[in-house]
Amino acid sequence: MIDPAIGALLAGALALLFVSAAFHKLRNLQHFAQALRAYRVLPEWAAAMAWLVPLLELTVGASLLARGSRPGACAAGAALLLAYAAAIAINLQRGRRDLACGCGGPDERRPIAPWMVWRNLLLAGLLAALLLPWSGRPMNGADALTIGAGTAVAALLYMSLEQLLDRVAPRTALLGGPR
Amino acid sequence: MTALAVSNAVLWVLVLVLAAVVLALVRQVGVLHERIAPAGALMLNRGLTVGEPGPVLEVADLEGHTHQVGVARGDGRSTLLLFVSPTCPVCKTLLPAIKSSRKDERGWMDVILASDGDTSEQREFVRAQGLDGIPYVVSAALGLAYQVSRLPFAALLDEQGILRARGLVNSREHLESLFEAKRLGVASLQEYFSGAV
Repeated sequence: MIDPAIGALLAGALALLFVSAAFHKLRNLQHFAQALRAYRVLPEWAAAMAWLVPLLELTVGASLLARGSRPGACAAGAALLLAYAAAIAINLQRGRRDLACGCGGPDERRPIAPWMVWRNLLLAGLLAALLLPWSGRPMNGADALTIGAGTAVAALLYMSLEQLLDRVAPRTALLGGPR
Repeated sequence: MTALAVSNAVLWVLVLVLAAVVLALVRQVGVLHERIAPAGALMLNRGLTVGEPGPVLEVADLEGHTHQVGVARGDGRSTLLLFVSPTCPVCKTLLPAIKSSRKDERGWMDVILASDGDTSEQREFVRAQGLDGIPYVVSAALGLAYQVSRLPFAALLDEQGILRARGLVNSREHLESLFEAKRLGVASLQEYFSGAV
């Protein structure tokens, strides 16, 4: 049983994540198709269907917000995240550490890394938590604040963490810490 | 509104601001990382390759001591060759940085100043700038061997006589980035970034 405010907060933040990921891919589909092909986990013809992925992400993001479609969106979203995690893990296993992850926009070229696998597993876990039954407490103004501000804070912290794990930490490691 | 609700609202506002500040700081750290790249590893021309042995030469300084440049040293110390000239204004502004770096890095590195041209003019330069105690070599051959195209120019040789970094040094930052380049084992700016990303 989860509180409806926490449920709505989780759903809102995850919907924002899926929608923004879809927009990043739609901004330059060609680039995303290339990244998908470079993963070398799907047959060659599948890359022509690259536009399906952002479409699916967009649908998942929108469906998370409505009560009726939420369980389906959770399952589809978790499946998508686990598929990404598997694709990244397979390529890391192959030793291809310089492979572009294809998660950001076209001007961003980020290589895949082990933390991305863990991130996706965690996000899939959060989606699974949304499937728990919600308690039927009446909502008021304070809940609106919790959901709105909570979603914004979650988005900001998510961006900070991505930046930190992606750009700052590897370079700090390269510098070898304080002398 | 109860005190608890007010407190909750205020806390949310503060947390939001805090999260925005964290994001801004993280981005700033990213920018800083780009700025502290080893800029002195900027290479001007090809020919001499960083990571390969430097040209071997025997040169004499103004006091008559001979120095073997580019050979493996038994004492495990590195050599910084710094090409300067009495007629180069940037060299004069760089000299205090050279002196302090020589002091700071004396544990692992020797500095040799190199120039070419009229010897009496060089002696005057050494006296005027207070460079006594630093070996000062006057040799056109050394400059040619290390392909010095403009001044002030530096080349860092490690204890094996292997060239670790070379390039134009216009500032203290450039000079120190030569040491960073050796410490990190990167040949150039491009290599540093391709290794990090």
